[in-house]
This record gives sequence, structure tokens and C-alpha cells, in this order.
Amino acid sequence: MTTCPRCDSTRAELVAESPVKGAWTVHTCPVCFFTWRSTEPEKITNPDKYDRSFKVNQEDIPNAIQVPAIPDRLGNR
Amino acid sequence: MAYKDFRDFLDTLQKEGQLLTIEDEVMPEPDLGSAGRAINNVSDKSPALLFTNINGYKDARVAMNVIGSWPNHALMMGMPKNTPVKEQFFEFARRWDNYPVAVERMESAPFQEVEVNENVNLFDLLPLFRLNQYDGGFYIDKACVISRDPSDPEHFGKQNVGIYRIQVKGKDRLGIQPVPQHDIAIHLRMAEERGENLPIALAIGCEPVITTMAAAPIGYDQSEYEMAGAIQGEPYKVFTLPGTNLDVPWGAEIVLEGEILAGVREFEGPFGEFTGHYSGGRSMPVIHVKRVYHRRNPIFEHLYIGMPWTETDYMVGVNTCVPMYQQLKDAFPNEIVAVNAMYTHGLVAIISTKKRYGGFAKAVGMRAMTTPHGLGYCKLVIVVDETVDPFNLPQVMWALSTKMHPAHDVVIVPDLSVLPLDPGSNPAGITHKMILDATTPVAPETRGHYSQPLDAPLATDKWETIFQDLLNR
Repeated sequence: MTTCPRCDSTRAELVAESPVKGAWTVHTCPVCFFTWRSTEPEKITNPDKYDRSFKVNQEDIPNAIQVPAIPDRLGNR
Repeated sequence: MAYKDFRDFLDTLQKEGQLLTIEDEVMPEPDLGSAGRAINNVSDKSPALLFTNINGYKDARVAMNVIGSWPNHALMMGMPKNTPVKEQFFEFARRWDNYPVAVERMESAPFQEVEVNENVNLFDLLPLFRLNQYDGGFYIDKACVISRDPSDPEHFGKQNVGIYRIQVKGKDRLGIQPVPQHDIAIHLRMAEERGENLPIALAIGCEPVITTMAAAPIGYDQSEYEMAGAIQGEPYKVFTLPGTNLDVPWGAEIVLEGEILAGVREFEGPFGEFTGHYSGGRSMPVIHVKRVYHRRNPIFEHLYIGMPWTETDYMVGVNTCVPMYQQLKDAFPNEIVAVNAMYTHGLVAIISTKKRYGGFAKAVGMRAMTTPHGLGYCKLVIVVDETVDPFNLPQVMWALSTKMHPAHDVVIVPDLSVLPLDPGSNPAGITHKMILDATTPVAPETRGHYSQPLDAPLATDKWETIFQDLLNR
């Protein structure tokens, strides 16, 4: 388990290792879906250094506006 | 003039000096996104880029900026690379009228060389990377996305080929942005009303005519493939994915097959958009990828998008101007001369028109706002005389500075629709819109002193031709 630099979830997972061994790894967060590569600068990979204005509050995620909205099923109207 | 596939077009760019191959090792971040930005900063005649040595990958190749300049756009149309934009517009419009050209169906496709049916991991299969530094993840942003109308699945024209931003959110999981103005949003709504997933295919690395048509706001029941046939002057080659009714571009490098999950929305974004602003995070549909096809050693095509001008603006320039031009000509066939709707995808549009009587130009401006594309764009419409070239911005500024009277020629219409990505809209998707009438007043309007316009010297047209010929040598 790894901490997501953007939403601070601790559920981030390893999803890829570089085909050339040892060059980098890629992680993704199943909470806010942020994805990052280990070779990116600390301002992207370190939760304490990620730009505050782009941080995502986990509590806000369920309230994000739907684009497009989910329509009612036919027959349920 | 049709290009066989993506590689065929890259070969043409190479021969024309419009492809730059970078063999030195680059980092996925920040080099690829930065190079995509930089190539548009240095010139509007810039070449495409092909990266062949990306840190951590074996044999990966990434192409960017493939039609990211006017020379490359001209070559896409099979025209000389220094063809002026206005000529590209009129040639595009001429070919547009040849619609429809029936497709050519192929029995097999080059991308069937490799098929991955299980344990799909897009991070392993594709050289993915972050484009702008606060993008929420790695995006696929120049794929042709194909879907069928669930209520009329046999209707070939209602099959849609479109380009949408796609976030890679997991090994076989994508996010997609179908804003309500997009045709795929209509397909998705129908599928979700039935509680069904929407089957889709994503084709990456296609020759440029189909990507251009996929990015064009053509009619809902018009086929992008049949329009691509009209633009390229011969039938477009398609291949039906086995076990589906989805027709994909035959020459694609990579094809992803999957479905949009009914009733599912998930956090997506932000993404650096064509408006020059990040989009913010929203809750958007999700694609489950079930199968991947690709050519051996495929070329991954990607597109830099951000503050204009970028490849996006070249790609959606002429192909946005022409449908608006055709739709305006439907209403005013004897007056409309040309339409330039290539600024921030037509949020600003400039229309050159003749006038029947005073006030006519303002009506043309209002009609532009009610065309299918204008409903989501055309926040500012500038209307100029038939003698003003709307693609020549100094001429447009001249018209604004001399013909427009602020007391009479500014029309503001409140609270119209606009695409939600317009960062100035409030609430998102609603904005006032404005017409600036920069045409010469005609009766019954009598204001101003415009009776002695300055002509060009008599042989100017002849000398323009002479100089163009000399410059083409």
C-alpha cells in the first residue's frame, strides 16, 4: 500500500514496472484515480509537496458533478 | 490521394521535411508533454515528432503533433505543404459536397497481428505518460472512439466516430468525457435508459483524415467514414471488429475493445484542456477494456493540448469552419462567403457575408449561434463584409476598428448554452453571447461615411499569383 500524493488515500497500488528493469514504477489510486510515475518530480509524487490547489479531498469525490448525468431507466419514469 | 495508414502518412511527412525523429533518450515526464507544447511555441509550420527512445520502455514509439501545423494539415489533404489556410478551407468545403462516399470493407486488418484477450494491462501495452503536470493521470487523447446508436444499430450513418479525452484509471479501466453536446453522449443515454452497457472501440494511430473527421461537428446521422471518403477522394477502408458490429479504421496501429458501463460515474480529471485551463474534476463514465489488438511494435499517437495554439487547434480548425459555413449557406446561400471558426474551437467565430439590407449581418450572427456547433460555442461572433478575408486577422481588426460603432453594432444575448468546459461560463454551460457587426452599414442604415472605399491597385491579383508561383518553386 502506498499513499496517494493527491488525496492522501493509503490504498494506492502498483500497476506497472518499466519494461527495462529498474527504470521506474507506476502507481494509481483507486479512490481519486490519480496516477503517477516514480521518476516524476517530488511535487507530483510526494503528498506533502503536491500543490494544495490541486489536492483532492476524499469527502468531496462522491459529490462531484456528473457529466453527463445518469438518466432514469425506461419504465421507471 | 488516400493514405493507406498512419505509417504511410508519416512517410509522406518525412519526405516533405515535416517529421522530426528524436532518437536521443527522453523521459516520459516531463519531456514528451513539454516537447508537444514547445513544438507549437516555435512555429506554425512545425513538423510532427516521432520519439523512438523513451526511458524505461523497449521499442516504444510515440508520435505527436502529426497534424499540428498548416503544412501538415495541407499534406493531410494531399495539397502542397505551403497552401494558404483560406485555400485549404475552400478545398475542404468543395470536397465536403461530395458526401457520401461509400466505405470499402476489408476482410482483415494489420492490427490483428497481436491480440490480447486476458489480463489486459494498458500500462504495459501502451507507452502512457502525463501531458500537463496537474493532469489527474495518463490520458489517451487522440483515439477515434466508435459506437453505435442502440435504438438504430443497423444505421451506418448513426454509428459515431469521435475523439474524446480518455483517462487511464486502471489496468483495464478508462474514464471518458462525453459532454452532452457530443454524439456519443446520445448513444450512452439510450443505452443507460435501457440499463445496457454501450459497446465501444478505440482506434489509436489512424491516418489523419479519419481523426480530422472524428473531430468535426458533422450531423448526427452523417457517417464520419463516408465523409472521410469525400475528403480523401476515394472510399475509406474499414474493418468490422470480430464479434461486434463496430467498424474501425482499417489502418489503425492499436485498437481497444470494451464497453461503457451503464449507470457508473467515477471521479475523472482534471485535464489541461483546449481552453488553456484545467477542467477541474467531475464524475464521468467508465470504460471496461476487454480486448486489445495492435500491430507489432505499434506507434502510439498522442496529442498535446493546452493554451492555443496546439495540435488540437490545427486539427479542429478547418473541419469546424466548413460545417458552420455549409449550415449558414443553407440559410443564406447568396450571402455567406467564408467562416473562420478556428479560435478556441469556435468560441470565437468570424463570418464574412454580403448584406441584403441594414441589420442583416446581425441576423447572420444570431444564426451562427443556433447552428449545431454554435449551440456549444460561438460566444463571440464577428461579422465582416464580403471583401474582408476572415482568415486574415489584420483585415478583421481593420473592419472592427473602422466599421463597428459601439452604440449600434454590439448585440448581447443573455444566458445561452455553451460547452461546460468554457471556464467563463456561469453556471458551467451557460453564458451571455455577443455579436460584433463590423460590416459596412447599408440602407436603411445611413450612418457613417463609407462611400469611398480604397481599392487595391488593378493588377494586384495577377501579382499575387506570380509571387505564389515563385514561392512554390
